Amino acid sequence: MDKKRIFIVDDESGFTRLLKLTLERTGQYVVLEENDGTGAWLKARDFKPDIIFLDIVMPRIDGGDVAQQIRSDPLLAHVPIIFLTAIVSRTETKTDIGGFPFLSKPVSLDAINRCIAEHLGTGESV
Amino acid sequence: MSSNSPEKLRVLLVEENPGDVFLLREMVNEEAGSRFQVVAETGRLDQALGYLAANEVDVVLLDLALTDSRGLETFTAAHQAAPEVPIIVLSGVDDEDLALQTVQLGALEYLVKGRIDSHLLHRALRYAMERARGEAQLAHERGLFNTLLENIPDRIYFKDQRSRFIRINHALTKLLGLKKPEEAYGKTDADFYGAEHAQAAREDEIHVMQTGEALLGKVEFETLIGGGRSWSLTTKLPLRNRQGRIIGTCGISREVTAMKEMEDQLATERNLLRAVIDNLPDHIFLKDAEGRYLLDNVAHLRSVGATTSADVRGRTVFDFFPEEIARTFHDDDMAIIRSAQALINHEEQRTNTNGNQRWVLTSKIPWLDESGLAVGLVCISRDISEQKLAEEHLKQANADLKARREDLMAAVKDLQEAHQQLRDVQLQLIEAEKMKSIGRLAAGVAHEVKNPLAILQMGLEFLNTVPTTDETTPVILKEMSDALTRADGVIRGLLDFSSPKQLEVKRASLNVIINQALRLVRGEMKGCTIHRELQADIPPLALDTDKISQVFVNLLTNALHAMHGGGTLTVRTYAKQLTGVGANIGDKRSESFRVGETIVVAEIDDTGPGVPDDTIGKIFEPFYTTKPTGKGTGLGLSVVRTIVDLHGATIDLRNLAEGGARVTLMFQV
Repeated sequence: MDKKRIFIVDDESGFTRLLKLTLERTGQYVVLEENDGTGAWLKARDFKPDIIFLDIVMPRIDGGDVAQQIRSDPLLAHVPIIFLTAIVSRTETKTDIGGFPFLSKPVSLDAINRCIAEHLGTGESV
Repeated sequence: MSSNSPEKLRVLLVEENPGDVFLLREMVNEEAGSRFQVVAETGRLDQALGYLAANEVDVVLLDLALTDSRGLETFTAAHQAAPEVPIIVLSGVDDEDLALQTVQLGALEYLVKGRIDSHLLHRALRYAMERARGEAQLAHERGLFNTLLENIPDRIYFKDQRSRFIRINHALTKLLGLKKPEEAYGKTDADFYGAEHAQAAREDEIHVMQTGEALLGKVEFETLIGGGRSWSLTTKLPLRNRQGRIIGTCGISREVTAMKEMEDQLATERNLLRAVIDNLPDHIFLKDAEGRYLLDNVAHLRSVGATTSADVRGRTVFDFFPEEIARTFHDDDMAIIRSAQALINHEEQRTNTNGNQRWVLTSKIPWLDESGLAVGLVCISRDISEQKLAEEHLKQANADLKARREDLMAAVKDLQEAHQQLRDVQLQLIEAEKMKSIGRLAAGVAHEVKNPLAILQMGLEFLNTVPTTDETTPVILKEMSDALTRADGVIRGLLDFSSPKQLEVKRASLNVIINQALRLVRGEMKGCTIHRELQADIPPLALDTDKISQVFVNLLTNALHAMHGGGTLTVRTYAKQLTGVGANIGDKRSESFRVGETIVVAEIDDTGPGVPDDTIGKIFEPFYTTKPTGKGTGLGLSVVRTIVDLHGATIDLRNLAEGGARVTLMFQV
């Protein structure tokens, strides 16, 4: 079975590196990290991810705009985008932000796995 | 006749001729019933004079031709030696002319020797005696007159028909500045006095002379040419001759300057006093013991409607006032006189003669005679109606001022209260602003802290996937994970505190939430009894359980605080079908509830003091708090209301008739 391709866009390079390491350690995922939101869309085109984790608050571009760019691209329109953000607390859980599901930082690996499984319809394989 | 009287009249016979001596002695002594006797005889003048000097003699028979004196000189010498003694001169036939001259000089009679007989001699002696007595009397009277004239301090004068002085006395002589009275004789007043007085005096004298009437006690002001000026009291009488014809005037005048000055002074003082009392606005009067006016001033005159003092003097109050009022006045006056006690500054209301009511300030002082007996009274009274009126106005003004002051004080109090409220609101606003700032800060901090936390979390996740060789590492990782969770919890709490909220609604049981809330406020329940009357089968409601829990925690805490740790807290839930819009449902929200709908009601009753009426309407407003600043933010109940509103529910607070307050919440099913 092919490894799922996960694209992580977040200006926090420490976070993306650790998330990449952790996810790839499971052996189920190929992870591309991107710390510059402005380049995210083109990177996504090249990478062709199965799922995208997108930060909202970034230096030069808002995560929402990045999401719009990707969603507007026919090549990528089908790719699920999950916001991964520090701006909401877990107790205020809404089902989505601007129509996209989201996870609140800090997030557990478990929650990420469940989220991937939920959106990609893959069973738990750990 | 009393011829045998032992007392004979003594005759001194001065005669040189012895034959004549003999003859004359015989004639004097021997006449039957003779009252005369020759007591001494001499032919020498010096002896005669010596005798006269040493002895009293009633009559002298004197021959002019003596040994040591002859002719007129003899008589002159004798007469000078005893002027009061009558002298009968004896002369010879040849010198009768000489004898006649002696008569002119004062001899009473002369007899011609050789023609003298006893009868003639005696008749001459008697006649001489009579004349001498008459003259002596005259001299006496003249003496008295002169004494009077010259010693009296009054000025006396006699004037002729042309008002020329013919006699003035010593006092007048002195006044006119003369040495001798004679210096004035023939002169008139015009020579001594100022023209004005001289003219007036002359006119008076003419009048006296024409009418024969005396001018009595005229007071005149005299100005002397020499500069003297004086007041005199003058009486002028017509001067008549023996026939009764008016030949001039006589007068007496007395200097009365001192008296006149005193009189003037008295008059001046009287006028001054009169002016004082007449110019005083006060009514002043003096009454006798019977209440008759003796004296009053102009103010009093006018007050009784009189024009002159004469209209009032001798009359009583009964002449000026109606009987009833007069009786009161009179009785009051008589009481003062009887008691001899003064009435000082007595205020009384009076009806004046016009029937107007006036206020007067009266002092009545008994008028006491020397023995201390009241013989009348003095009264002074002042119309103080104006002052009274002013006093009333002043009182009113003071009352107004007081009222205004009270209004002012009330206004100040209101202002102070308003100020206090403003200050409270300001503090509450500051508090709210602080909260907002904290909120913004919290959001920023949360974002900045959550990212590193996410890295840490991910780091831990990674480490968890790394197989460990010892037992300690997993424990450490677990501790770290717990700490991370705790830190995240703190951040979340901070965000919840301030971030804008939306409901997270789900179907839930109100009873469950209430029970949870009651558990949360256990710490506040000291001494309070809790009654739960929760209807078991109430329908579930669409609720944000956290928020509604927050609402109940808030309401329950308030109720428990209101009872200050003692009382009964009752929590009740029930479902009911709306049959009409009840009193508990405000107009604003009544549209949310329709008749026939089922609603769930929650009530929280306390037995505290209730909520003050003026507060009850504001209690759900933001920033309103009855707690002191610092103890409550004033946001509690407004947050409660916001949450309740978000649920489309209602909340209402009212005081219970039996005491305490009830909060009612109504939820749509």
